[in-house]
Amino acid sequence: MAEEFASAPHFVGARIPRTEDSRLLRGEAQYLDDIQIPNLLEMAFVRSPYAAARILSVDSSAAWNIPGVRAVFTFADMPFVLPQNGPSPIDQPVLARERVRHAGEAVVAVVAESRYIAEDACEAVHVAYTPEEPVLDMQAAQKDRPRRVHDAAPNVFYHQEYETEGFQAAFDTAPHRLTMTFQTTRQTACSLETRGIIAAADPFSGRMTVYCGTQSPHRLRGDLAEMLQMEEHLLRVIVPEVGGAFGMKAATYPEYLAVVQAARLLRQPVKWTADRVESFLSDVHARDDIHDLEVAFDQRGQIIAVKDHLMADGGAYASYPFSGAIGETSLAAKVITGPYDIAHLSTVIDCTYSNKVPLGAYRGVWGPVASFVQEGMVDRIAQFLHLDAAEVRRTNLVQPNQLPYRNAAGMLYDSGSFTESFEHALAQLDYTRWRATQEQARRVGKYLGIGLSNFVEPTAMASSEAGSIGYESCSVRVEPSGTVTAWLGLGPSGQGHETTMAQVLADQLGVDLEHIVVLHGDTDAAPLGGGTGGSRSGPLGGGAAMQAGRKMRERLDVYAAHMLEAAVEDIAWEHGRAHVRGVYARHVSLRDIARIAYNDVRQIPSGLPIGLEVTERYQPPRPVSFSNGTHAAVVEVNPSTGQVTVLDYVVVNDCGTLINPLIVEGQIHGGVAQGVGAALLESLVYDDSGQLLTTTLMDYLLPSAPLVPRMRIEHLVTPSDGALGVKGMGEGSLIASPAAIAGAVNDALSPWGVSFERLPIAPRDIVTSLGRSSAAPV
Amino acid sequence: MYTAPFDYRRAHDTQEVVTWLQEDPDNTKIIAGGHSLLPLMKLRLASVARLVDISQVAELQGIREDMGGLRIGAFTRHAQLAKDPAVREAAPLLASAAAVIGDMQVRNRGTIGGSLCHADPAADLPAALLALNAELVIAGPGTERRESLDAFFLAPFITTLAADEVLTAIVVPRMVPGAKSTYLKRPHPASGYPVIGVAAWVSVSGGRVEDCRIALTGIGPVPFRAARSEQVLTGRAFSREAIAEAAREAAGSGTLEDDEDGYKSQLCQVYVSRALGDIAQGAG
Amino acid sequence: MTTVDIAFLLNGRPVSLSVEPRLLLSDALRHHLGMTSTHVGCEQGVCGVCTILLDGAPARSCLMLAVMADGRSVTTAEGLSDPLAEQLRDSFQEHHALQCGFCTPAMLLTAHCLLSAHPEAGESQIREALSGNLCRCTGYQFIIDAVSSLTERGGEGDASHG
Repeated sequence: MAEEFASAPHFVGARIPRTEDSRLLRGEAQYLDDIQIPNLLEMAFVRSPYAAARILSVDSSAAWNIPGVRAVFTFADMPFVLPQNGPSPIDQPVLARERVRHAGEAVVAVVAESRYIAEDACEAVHVAYTPEEPVLDMQAAQKDRPRRVHDAAPNVFYHQEYETEGFQAAFDTAPHRLTMTFQTTRQTACSLETRGIIAAADPFSGRMTVYCGTQSPHRLRGDLAEMLQMEEHLLRVIVPEVGGAFGMKAATYPEYLAVVQAARLLRQPVKWTADRVESFLSDVHARDDIHDLEVAFDQRGQIIAVKDHLMADGGAYASYPFSGAIGETSLAAKVITGPYDIAHLSTVIDCTYSNKVPLGAYRGVWGPVASFVQEGMVDRIAQFLHLDAAEVRRTNLVQPNQLPYRNAAGMLYDSGSFTESFEHALAQLDYTRWRATQEQARRVGKYLGIGLSNFVEPTAMASSEAGSIGYESCSVRVEPSGTVTAWLGLGPSGQGHETTMAQVLADQLGVDLEHIVVLHGDTDAAPLGGGTGGSRSGPLGGGAAMQAGRKMRERLDVYAAHMLEAAVEDIAWEHGRAHVRGVYARHVSLRDIARIAYNDVRQIPSGLPIGLEVTERYQPPRPVSFSNGTHAAVVEVNPSTGQVTVLDYVVVNDCGTLINPLIVEGQIHGGVAQGVGAALLESLVYDDSGQLLTTTLMDYLLPSAPLVPRMRIEHLVTPSDGALGVKGMGEGSLIASPAAIAGAVNDALSPWGVSFERLPIAPRDIVTSLGRSSAAPV
Repeated sequence: MYTAPFDYRRAHDTQEVVTWLQEDPDNTKIIAGGHSLLPLMKLRLASVARLVDISQVAELQGIREDMGGLRIGAFTRHAQLAKDPAVREAAPLLASAAAVIGDMQVRNRGTIGGSLCHADPAADLPAALLALNAELVIAGPGTERRESLDAFFLAPFITTLAADEVLTAIVVPRMVPGAKSTYLKRPHPASGYPVIGVAAWVSVSGGRVEDCRIALTGIGPVPFRAARSEQVLTGRAFSREAIAEAAREAAGSGTLEDDEDGYKSQLCQVYVSRALGDIAQGAG
Repeated sequence: MTTVDIAFLLNGRPVSLSVEPRLLLSDALRHHLGMTSTHVGCEQGVCGVCTILLDGAPARSCLMLAVMADGRSVTTAEGLSDPLAEQLRDSFQEHHALQCGFCTPAMLLTAHCLLSAHPEAGESQIREALSGNLCRCTGYQFIIDAVSSLTERGGEGDASHG
């Protein structure tokens, strides 16, 4: 649809450096722990050392005697819960009540004059427990073995079944069938800035101000009000600078309730920040999934039917408001066929409780798992049939003339460039040359592998981990001086919304970027919005900015037409000044208009209100809009040491209109780096007693600069039918990359017939698998 | 995560250090670079009532010539070892190992003494120092004693150092003239610690190995000399066959734990083979 | 509780504090001296966001006690103000070398140190030098480009590295 712009658009689509950067580069930005508040107290938690136990007693007498300790709280002092959430019928108490259900669950909250003293006091609290047998294996848990995590509910808290009509016949009559199991082990967002919250009474208004690095300021405010029985209008949430979130900071966590309630009880400001150990023990985890898959296909590798039992270990509670287990499985069940034309699908989902940390959202959610399964399945088929992996993908890809395409689960792919992005990626990689190189290398005992990963990314959805607001809001105000202030209900953590939304507004208003400021994160000022998550900010935020900007400009056009004695349709804008098209000598500035709008109000054209403020809400035309793309990786695997080196990495990405290609590319780089971590490095490991063994960055391995490859990116543009043609794109790169890298490793090891269907793939796993394999390399 | 409270003393000479250690040996610890001790204290895995800062003890600093070799003060930072011209000239293997410890930030703070006394089985310097026949100079309540590094490491994080002793210097003999050396490691992706580290030097005359030393770190509960590999090589032609056989003997020279799948033995073989191969090709 | 009096140079200015021995340098800088660009990410010395320059050399402030800074010179990102620092900041902005910004002050300090000592550094060397500075947002590529563009070779990073 043709967009109207103030003048020829020149900000959307431009590689513009970010406005956020100057305060970040000067070290002037304030993250949560940087905020100085007088009389601030700090909270620390006594956390359960057991995965499952009854609490017999809590003795905090020694803690109270430590100088500087202000309070020691248990559930009895703050009897609040995160209420039952969707299919899961179990409330999560703020502090453990009678039982602990995962190692790391908070039992006692200590408030003291400093975190140092609070930790000393935590050491002095004695909690007596009777350990119980923990539930740790999701498949046993499905049968309520060894027992129920929650007495009141079976371990399976979410079960769904789906089958296309005619599935069984199609499956049974297919020429070939294969069975395989894929597993992804627990991982976590591990943002460099840990979680934190400050609750401080606001002396100027008598309300409570809560500072929190959350992705969803309005939802958090609503949650706190509801859960703590506070008046919502007396609560203000302010989001400071956030040092990375990746979905993990969208949840409402028990610690947040504890801090706010402590501030109310003590009538003093209280802060809590997670240290890294407690981060691993209390941030939502992700990716704890198993897929038992059966696939039916023909002699060309055309996939006819896919049967998948999707399982997820949801942890001790359903994270609020988004259960990662339900999210990962239910959405995987809907897009497990990816961009492939697969007619029949049968899925069964089982999400279970366990005595582990709750599962929540982490970038890509179901996508990294589903792509790993999807591409692993395609590669196994290719191997089985002795066909080229690229050729089998070509055979299966949804063709351009099939779009819009409804997949077997009923999801409508609105538009995309599946075959184009695949062919472009193969060309960029120089696939044929790498295959030849691979062949030559094998003859001299070097093992290269190529991994291909085609992805679809559902974006611009009404519902995500950030919440369930199916629209986004933008308020725009032209100030009396003619500069522009805008607010959106987003919750960024590094995605550059202040710049991208300003670019959209600048094009609509005909104003230069440096005269626009985009604000977010303060529930006093920002219109109610859906926060940031689920790749919604570009399309929905951009849509809201576009709509608000256009609404404002329409009003400004009326002013300008009136002042220049011209027709509205003849007004053009440039650099914040309106002129009659073709006539540059006369113009009026925003400031001139603002003077009338705010001061000389008798001059306001009839029909227009006093002032220059608009608030608009944008709803996308469809419930989901799909981005797509292809990742291709080349790796070398050293079979005697198990080391994997990424030699080449290509991305073709199609997210419709790009607001700022620089920012899009930064997002892609970051997602691919997380994919290197997901495929090769990151794993949260529990032992047989339910202890989390990986609680520092020495054990949970994040990719460092030498381990991340240089990536080449090509953009394709298939616009959405939403505002500006923008689709979301923040998650696609992490959706596709683990599959590309794992696929490349498997391809490198194919002479041994070894294939990994479990992530991450560590060097030791490679060496021991090769040692065990009877097949000698060809 | 914060440490429990402790008493802090700054020492000005070795005698002060020893006196303070003697007063309460179980609860007094020396802090040098802090990169091994502080993480443990912050996790409250090490409880320390008194911390003795030795950064001002002049006797523990400096690198001097000592009978043709080097006497390295225990409080010498890894970055200094890597750059020092005397070390690079007399014991280049030590400088090479120091240069790849951790990352830039770690090398600017960690010390040779701290690394040796902490005795993390995954530390780089012990391999180089074992290969160089280093000797330790230790001060305590009695007279100063010397100990060969070969006997120093007893178990992970446990050395022969008594609770009232302080390591003052490391004596490293000059490397055999003409010997070629290399330090090869596989760094741990997060910490930079050696998953395996091989320090080796070989002196060759007329194509035959006159003498050699090979030491491994990271892979076993303590760093060890690959004595069997050294025996295989010494006196033989420095050939691919000799290297391959020496590499096969490496794992057996030490005790590897948790190696049911043979992964660690395999790494020993691969890395010793590569290290010796690098030396043979002059790449060391 | 006994405190220790310490004095050191912070970004060129003398400062003095009375501190508990266990107070970490990172906390002294952040909460007692207003230098909040020094961040804390892991407390165990892996992530590097607490990097400062101690006597001009990069070091982790979360693994130093404040008392260990006595008599020394500490530089935080706020104190980086020479022409190279300005060029680095401009280059980071131009190349989109930061997203959430949490690792950025530490990256600037380490990069500044690298470029001062090795103005000819290539991509591999830059990646190695930054190996102790983790970033979870950017995937490092634009950071490498930003640093690389200021080396004597100039231009973007190499297509092949490793």
